Amino acid sequence: MKTAHELRPGNVIMLDGSPWVVQKTETTRSGRNAAIVKLKLKHVLQDSSTESTFKGEDKMEDIILERLDCTYSYFADPMYVFMDAEYNQYDVEAENLGDAAAYIVDGMEENCQVTFYEGKAISVELPTSVVREVTYTEPSARGDTSGKVMKPATITGGGTLSVADFVKTGDMIEIDTRTNEFKKRV
Amino acid sequence: MTSQNSEQNWDIFCAVVDNYGDIGVTWRLAKQLSAEQKINVTLWVDDLNSFQHILPHLDPNQVTQSHCGIKINQWSEPLKIDYKVGDVLIEAFACELPAQVKQQLVTAKQAYFDNSKNKKPPVWLNLEYLSAESWVEGCHGLPSMQASGIKKYFYFPGFSDKTGGLICEKTLFTDREHWQLDTQNRQNLFKSLGLTGIDETDTVISVFSYESSALLALCQHWQANDTKTHALIPKGRSLNSLQSILPCSIDELTPGMQIAFGNLVIHILPMTDQEGYDKLLWSCDFNIVRGEDSFLRAQWAAKPFIWHIYEQEEDYHLIKLDAFMQLYCNNLPSELAMSWKGLNLAFNQEQAALTCEYWQQLNLADLPLQQHAKQWPIDAINDVDLVSRLVQFVKNS
Repeated sequence: MKTAHELRPGNVIMLDGSPWVVQKTETTRSGRNAAIVKLKLKHVLQDSSTESTFKGEDKMEDIILERLDCTYSYFADPMYVFMDAEYNQYDVEAENLGDAAAYIVDGMEENCQVTFYEGKAISVELPTSVVREVTYTEPSARGDTSGKVMKPATITGGGTLSVADFVKTGDMIEIDTRTNEFKKRV
Repeated sequence: MTSQNSEQNWDIFCAVVDNYGDIGVTWRLAKQLSAEQKINVTLWVDDLNSFQHILPHLDPNQVTQSHCGIKINQWSEPLKIDYKVGDVLIEAFACELPAQVKQQLVTAKQAYFDNSKNKKPPVWLNLEYLSAESWVEGCHGLPSMQASGIKKYFYFPGFSDKTGGLICEKTLFTDREHWQLDTQNRQNLFKSLGLTGIDETDTVISVFSYESSALLALCQHWQANDTKTHALIPKGRSLNSLQSILPCSIDELTPGMQIAFGNLVIHILPMTDQEGYDKLLWSCDFNIVRGEDSFLRAQWAAKPFIWHIYEQEEDYHLIKLDAFMQLYCNNLPSELAMSWKGLNLAFNQEQAALTCEYWQQLNLADLPLQQHAKQWPIDAINDVDLVSRLVQFVKNS
């Protein structure tokens, strides 16, 4: 069982007897520190999606499905193609990658986990942290400080996130893929 | 109101966390559902002693009783009174429903699944906290599939037509206007509360906050002010901040007591029911309120106010405060907006000197400020109140 708060894109959960892949998670705070988690879910077996809201501590059954360590090969619209150690190729629909798609870039070396349901590749989980190049961010407004001032940045692959004010265009940064948060400059 | 509604049975479960906030909201909701929609409401409350403060006729020792046409049941674990599935089940502020209740939902779902002539399981709602943040629109009304296979809907109060609206009784605004038109009402109310020595021209401020050093600073500021100021403060958390200037311990204070410091008089306010509190807010020149229920009632009072918001981890409450302030100040002249925002932010961050500075900038007699406070309730209610929207939501679910 996982709490709604612990779910990440790529996880598969059982709801009312059906498997759903988590495509997007948004956690916000309600009153008195209680978390509200909004999930975008896609039915694994049918062509249907839904949005749902949960209390952060709501528990749900996460299905342990077959997973394989794979590396990203190429994009054949609308499929992302991944390859395992034995050079078998697996197609994953772009839609099924959800927010993870922002971190899939040509030449990436990180291992991903491709999840299978009844033999079909249905989702991809990224490593918890990746290193990406900042392709654009505004120059620092306060100089090279280590404070908590943040500014928007675009990274390789087109994703956006908030980075520390001292980060410059061209820097390599480590990102937590679970929260899309800047961790450090590397 | 329809005859159909009069046959409807709704249950509201409320766990009291902070004395009057949760119970304040759910009690107002229950009363309005009953009075205006003719719905049979049962309110399950886990702390009847706190509830009694806002409903003085309530007997905390009774497991079940009725007030204002609403059945009030004590919520204990296990339940002493059986829950029978009704038409709607509301868990207020994400409180965890008793296991017996959840089991009844499963049984009802199965019975309905086996034979659709059986009673439908109730529409299950989680009534959430009020927030002006934009994400609320995206979450309002979304279903939440539970492990049991039963859908629960998240219902978010809010200020836009994409949210669940705001609790407001149908005649509240006209009642308030009538009240405020006759200044004698204010004098009569103060007299009935045992508050004496308040002249019509004096500034009167109600204070219902959490602890804050900014409150102490404000009191010291009012003390040295040219105009006479009366601070009406009930026994509770606000007074904890003022202990250093009180002549005795808080325990020794009794309602009706007056403590004078220069041009400030602190009055120890007796507890009132919700209708009495509304009238108090209508009668004061400025209100300092906290939590959710009194925060909304301060807006409906059409008077300027400070919202002392419930503190959250990592200062998240300041984000909520800011979201509301942006909305509230949309049509306020920029200088006025800056002072009002600054005052609220400084008070919530316990910046004593800044609080006094912004207080000085905010002239309570300022006409645009008064006009804005009067117009805001009309804009905020956005044509339809929460109870009307909620009944419609249930019909469509």
